[in-house]
Amino acid sequence: MRNQRLWKGVAVCCAVLATAAVLASCKGEKKIVQYSQMYKETPAVIYIAPINDLSSRRALRELNDSAYNASLNTAVKHCYLTAASPLVNRGYYVMGPLASAQLSATESRTGKQLRNESIEDLYTGLGIDAVLFVDIVEWTNTHAAWTVEAEYYVRSARTGGELLFAHVKATKLLPTDHKGNPKPLKADLDFAERYGCDLETAQRCRLVEILNEYVLSDLPSGSRARVDEKERYVKSHPEYFNLRIHRDGSVEMLKSTEEGS
Amino acid sequence: MLKDKSIYVIAVVVVLLAGCTGRYVGVPSDRVLAYQTRPTYGSLYELAHAYAEAINSAVAEDTLHPGMLADYGVALALMGHDGEACRMLNAEARAFPQSSRMVARIKERLLPGMVEDTTVNGTVGVDMGKLEGWAYDSIAALMPLPRIVSVVDSTDSVRVTQQTPTDSVEYPIRLTANQKRELLAAEQEKAEKRRQFVADSIAAAKQAVIDARKQAQIDRRNAKKEKQRLKEEMDKQRKKEAKEKALQREKEKQQRDAERRERNKKKKGGAK
Repeated sequence: MRNQRLWKGVAVCCAVLATAAVLASCKGEKKIVQYSQMYKETPAVIYIAPINDLSSRRALRELNDSAYNASLNTAVKHCYLTAASPLVNRGYYVMGPLASAQLSATESRTGKQLRNESIEDLYTGLGIDAVLFVDIVEWTNTHAAWTVEAEYYVRSARTGGELLFAHVKATKLLPTDHKGNPKPLKADLDFAERYGCDLETAQRCRLVEILNEYVLSDLPSGSRARVDEKERYVKSHPEYFNLRIHRDGSVEMLKSTEEGS
Repeated sequence: MLKDKSIYVIAVVVVLLAGCTGRYVGVPSDRVLAYQTRPTYGSLYELAHAYAEAINSAVAEDTLHPGMLADYGVALALMGHDGEACRMLNAEARAFPQSSRMVARIKERLLPGMVEDTTVNGTVGVDMGKLEGWAYDSIAALMPLPRIVSVVDSTDSVRVTQQTPTDSVEYPIRLTANQKRELLAAEQEKAEKRRQFVADSIAAAKQAVIDARKQAQIDRRNAKKEKQRLKEEMDKQRKKEAKEKALQREKEKQQRDAERRERNKKKKGGAK
C-alpha cells in the first residue's frame, strides 16, 4: 500500500517535471527579421539602389594598399550584381544591372535622400513598389576567417515605411592544414579563375554573394511566385502532375490539365 | 509491389523534382564587371552575347526571368543597334507588364525617337547570327561606345560619364596577325608613355616641393640677417643719442656751475 503511494508520488513528480520541461522548451527563438510589413504591403517590383559602402579604405602608403581597396570595390560591385537573383527567385520583379544603371542615371537624388525623403514618385512614375538598400558596414579578416557586416533595408515606395531591416554579420571559416595555415576553398579558387581576380577578392565576392542569398531568399513570396502557384492549378504547365498514393501502397500519377483541375 | 516506406520516399523525391522550375542564377556578373571596369564596345558585346545565350535558353525552357530582355535591350542600345534594342525592351514590357513604365523611361533616355513604338515583331528569342554579325575585331573592341554613356557604378560616389562623337562608330576592319601585334605594341607603348608621364609628373612635383623648401630656408636666413642688421643699427643710433645727451647734460652742468660761481662772487662783493 505504502509502496503504491510512493510510486504514485514519483509518477506525479515525473509528470510535473516533464510538463515543465516541455513548456520550457516551447519558448522559441525571437525572430530577428520581421516580415509582417512585407506581407501587409505585398510589393511586386523591387528596385535595388546602389550599394552604400561604409567600410573603411586604406590610405595609400604601402604597395598592397591599392590592391586591398580595389578588392573591396570589386566585392561591392559583385554584391550589387548578385542581390537580384534571390529576389527574382522569390518572385519579385527586379530590373537587371544595365537597365537599373540607366534608371539611376535619370535619378538626381542621392542614396541618403532616397532613404529619408519621399520616394512616392518612384511608385507613381516608374511602378516601383519598394527599394532595397544595402549597406556594407565593415570587412574583417583574421587568420582563417573572413567577416562582412552588412545591413539590408527595404523601404516602401508607396508609403515610405520600412518593410524589412536586417543587420547581419557573416563569417566564412576556412579549413586549415596541419600547420594551421588556412587552405582556400575550391569554389573560391574557381571563382578567382573565372573572374580573373586574386584570391582575396574571390573570398570577399563569394562571401557577399552567399550573404545576399541567405538574407534575401528568405523573403515572403513575391507576386509572380504567388501567381505561378495559382496558375499551377488553374492553367497547368504540361510538366505538372497530380500524385495519388493509395492506401494499398500503389501510386497513381496523372498529368494535370486545365480541364482536370 | 514496393514497400510502404519506399513509396513515400519516392513520392517525396518526385514532388521535390517537380518543384524545380528553372532557378534564376543571376546575371553574367563576370561580364558585367568586365564592362563596368572598361566600358568598351568589346566588353559590351561580350556581355550582350552572354545575355543572348541566357535568353535563348530561357525561352526554350519557358523560364524567362525579369530584367533579362531589358538588360539585353539596353546593351544593344548602347552598341547603337536601336531597332533590335527597341524590340527587346518592348518584349520585356509585354512579358512583364509591371516593368512598362520603367521601360518607357529607359527608352526616353536611350531611344528618344522610339518611345511610341511598342511593337514586338517575331519571337522573343535572339537571332544569334544577327548578333554575331555585329561583332568587331580587336581594334573596334578597344573603341569607346558610340553614344553618350553613363556607367553608374554600384557605389553611390562613383559615376563615370563618357562622351564620344557618333561618327567614330564603324570600324569593320579585319586585322592580320602582324597588324594585331603592332596594335598591341602601340597600346603598350601608349601605356608606357602614360606611366612615364605619371612618373615624371610625380618627380616634378617632388622636386618642386624640395625647391620650395630650400627657397623658404634661404628666405628665413635672409630675414634673420636683416633683422640682426636693423637691430645693430638701432643700437648704434641709441648709443649715439645717449652720448649726445650726456654731452648736453655736461655742458648744462658746467654752465650752471659757472652761473653759481658768478652769483657767489656778486654776493661776497656786496657784503664787503
